[in-house]
Amino acid sequence: MIARDKSAKYLRSVRPGLADLFASVVFASFAGLPLLLLLLRSFSKNWFWPDIFPHEFSLRSWMYIFDPASGIPAAMGVSVVIALAVAALSLAISVPAARVLALEEFSGKRFCILLLMLPVLAPPLASAMGLHAAFLKIGLTDSILGVVLVHLIPAAPYCTLMLMSSFSNFDPDLEGQARTLGASPKAVFWHVTLPAIAPGMAVAAGFAFLVSWSQYLVTLFIGGGRVLTLPMLLIAMQRGGDAAATAAIAIIFLAPTVLVLVVVARYLKPLS
Amino acid sequence: MSSRSLTFGSRLFLAIALLAIASACKHEQPAVPTSAQLAGLDWQNIERQAHGTTVHFAMWAGDQARNRYFQGTVADQLKRQFDITLHIIPLGDTSEAVNKLLTEKGGGKTSGGGIDMLWINGENFRTAKQGSLLWGPFAASLPNIRYFRDQARDRDFGTPIGDMEAPWMRAQFVMAYDNARLSAPPRTLKDLEEWIKQHPGRFTYPAPPDFTGSVFIRHLLVACGGDARQFAANFDQQLYDKASRCAFDQLNEMRPYLWRKGETYPSSPSELDRLFANGEIDFSMNYGPSFASQHIARGDFPQTTRTFVFDQGTIGNHSYLAVPFNASNPAGALVVINFLMSPEHELDQMRVLGDIPPLVPERLSVQDRKDAESSIPGPATLSMSELQTHQLPEPDAEYTRRFQQDWAKKVLQQR
Amino acid sequence: MRLNSKHLRIASNLAPMALTVGLLFAGGMLFAVLQSVGWSSVSGENHFTARHYDNFVTDAEFKDSLLITFALASVSTLLSATTGLLLALSFRRAAQRWRPVRVLAQVPLAMPHTVMALVVLEFLSPSGILARVLSGVGVIHGSEGFPVLTNDRLGIGIIVAYVLKEAPFVALMVVAVLLRIGDDYDAVARTLGASRWNRLAHVTLPLVAPALVSSSLVVFAFISGAYEVPFLLGRQYPAMLPVVAQHKFMDVDLAVRPDAIAIGVIIAITTAIFVVGYMRLARALSTTERPLIF
Repeated sequence: MIARDKSAKYLRSVRPGLADLFASVVFASFAGLPLLLLLLRSFSKNWFWPDIFPHEFSLRSWMYIFDPASGIPAAMGVSVVIALAVAALSLAISVPAARVLALEEFSGKRFCILLLMLPVLAPPLASAMGLHAAFLKIGLTDSILGVVLVHLIPAAPYCTLMLMSSFSNFDPDLEGQARTLGASPKAVFWHVTLPAIAPGMAVAAGFAFLVSWSQYLVTLFIGGGRVLTLPMLLIAMQRGGDAAATAAIAIIFLAPTVLVLVVVARYLKPLS
Repeated sequence: MSSRSLTFGSRLFLAIALLAIASACKHEQPAVPTSAQLAGLDWQNIERQAHGTTVHFAMWAGDQARNRYFQGTVADQLKRQFDITLHIIPLGDTSEAVNKLLTEKGGGKTSGGGIDMLWINGENFRTAKQGSLLWGPFAASLPNIRYFRDQARDRDFGTPIGDMEAPWMRAQFVMAYDNARLSAPPRTLKDLEEWIKQHPGRFTYPAPPDFTGSVFIRHLLVACGGDARQFAANFDQQLYDKASRCAFDQLNEMRPYLWRKGETYPSSPSELDRLFANGEIDFSMNYGPSFASQHIARGDFPQTTRTFVFDQGTIGNHSYLAVPFNASNPAGALVVINFLMSPEHELDQMRVLGDIPPLVPERLSVQDRKDAESSIPGPATLSMSELQTHQLPEPDAEYTRRFQQDWAKKVLQQR
Repeated sequence: MRLNSKHLRIASNLAPMALTVGLLFAGGMLFAVLQSVGWSSVSGENHFTARHYDNFVTDAEFKDSLLITFALASVSTLLSATTGLLLALSFRRAAQRWRPVRVLAQVPLAMPHTVMALVVLEFLSPSGILARVLSGVGVIHGSEGFPVLTNDRLGIGIIVAYVLKEAPFVALMVVAVLLRIGDDYDAVARTLGASRWNRLAHVTLPLVAPALVSSSLVVFAFISGAYEVPFLLGRQYPAMLPVVAQHKFMDVDLAVRPDAIAIGVIIAITTAIFVVGYMRLARALSTTERPLIF
């Protein structure tokens, strides 16, 4: 059965005390203050020294980033398409792998897990630089597919590692029982396994999405400037000096990250 | 999962992978005409070939107004007049595109390239021409070439052009200052150096190889060498050694009095503009003579901003449009290039962006000529005659390349 | 070892992942190593050479970059670990009792490093918000009076950005452990008469040490290979290794490209060492604590 950890007995709902409120304020300001600053900047006009608050406000930068002529909506679209493809492919690859890594014992298992951690923690910088020459020869540079493939390098193993924890809470006996009751393997998968790991899959896919969403350097190398994603436009806009538009793009850029983490907070055990 | 589900898992993986591959497959490419083939065709034919196609234009994208103009107004016009879809490939620096082409040439990608046309000049053109990275010659076959100065078609930073690129814009280096803060700006390089020493931390320039920073330091090189025309001729090692030693001495003498003590530099002209607008420094600079007026109009710079050129003159040059060797759509590129060179468009670009077209007034229609003379934009832009009487030619591209590289070692890294 | 159906099943389930990681990651690394030792079609080399790695010993730019990368990564990691530990210890109770704190604590993780760097620029640059506030109240006069904290020699802006991002991460990893082990050890120590300080030093700290050290390893590995923060907040020279690698990879002179790849390989090797270290310590961790950095 699913084990409960000790923290369960501390999860009573209690009226917050002063210390709790202080803690909340501290953590909230870690992210809240930056967000506030970005919002202010994105709606401001001519916010120069020495004004502590902007005197003029305008919707110009927001209208600019949603204007197709700026190229920014297209970049948002490209980022979304790539991240979705990476999440889908990562899931497809990870589900079978996570299952055996979590539920089976075999020699070399720890080594496999180590091999999975490497592409997660090592920056994809080196492998992308190495792959570039090969991709050039087979025509994968400057293409969305090429970018999807290099994003898979950090995303897919990460997805597997996340799914492993879902699977470790899964009881394979349930499948056995369903089979003895006469269900086909496909039915077993769809009606027993999938519902049990679906929340974990959503979380893992969400994180694979985020890993791809935030890639910059490898997209630059392999995409060759032809595949334009949102982080690339963000950096270009910052160098271009339009602070308000930079702030607006930054807010759009961090929206999915916040979204995924908020959704995940519901599924994962606290503080995972 | 039994072994059945493994098949399922692997099948799922394969299905998704194939789907991804299929969706990313390029469409069948029509055969790409060679420049000889295109030269044989009449212009109507070329326009017909270009009709309904997409043209990928790689251009420096550091200025938002410029990006918006091209991605909006220009793209719409091209769509309406020629049914051409213009797609801008933004570059942080033109050398990125040249680097890409070099890599593609070395990797054997001789067709289906991602760039159809390129905004280029100077040492980037030289690298491209020497590396056989360009498609052409083509400039002579463009109908609108007749409006341009012969001088603009001759040499680019000393490199013979040979019609491998078409003239598009003129630029001249100007300095900007705030009249309210500074009533009498230093008018010579020497005076500027004096001013910098008397006002520590109030001056800087973008770090080369940024082209604005690069041209600024080039003024010191040329001034050290004595006569600007010497530099426009072929590269002379002795001249370079003498002039660069003198220039680096001056740059290093200046270094401790610069913003941030010269230990770091703004990485782009926009960053420099921001420092100027925020009052951290007292000068900005740019290759575009009307950049300050544009900023004033947008509310970025104070109304009292003005520009000036040095008494001994400032460096001016032309910039061009070229077609890469592996362009997928050279016909489309030619039509777009010709459009961008038309007097009608050039004047509109001047009105909107302040770019100066190297058109020959005598060859324009009466109306166009009147438009050209009346549309000098902005309170902070110098007159055409002032710019022309204070213009220095660009040094040969090799000087630029060496000087930029050596700046990194001798000034930035202090070796 | 006989090849039975269990092995076959395991192998075929692992196959898609093995193929992906093998081709893309291992393959990419292999190509990178090959190109960095002289077999590079792009730059035209085709014989073994250690030239590109010699740079780290002979070339001042490489040496300075290595030094500053190591220095900034170490300082940032140490500060993040300390701050994270303090955050965890201070807010452990609040995190236990009140759910919103736990949710809020994860929000800093939601901020991509690039955005955090932009915010640090807005806030700490000489004409930034803090400078304007201080100037407004008269503490300093003009932006020249404000100390240089961004694009500066000491990399203060870089350190601040990383600490703001990584301290909450370390804190979360430590709190997870604290919640898991519960109060029992601490309670026992208290009944045995141990003082608060002793309990902290001899009971709590040793118990969270694995999580603290392993998350520090992750942070150090990440910082050594990250590009955006030093690009936005650092100087042109000396620049951190990933910035130098990017610059050299995009250089018009293709002969320089293998130098860039050599830098990438060095970064990858360093990270690998830290990953192995992390794995050793991770034996003590539950499967729910996973590094989450982007």
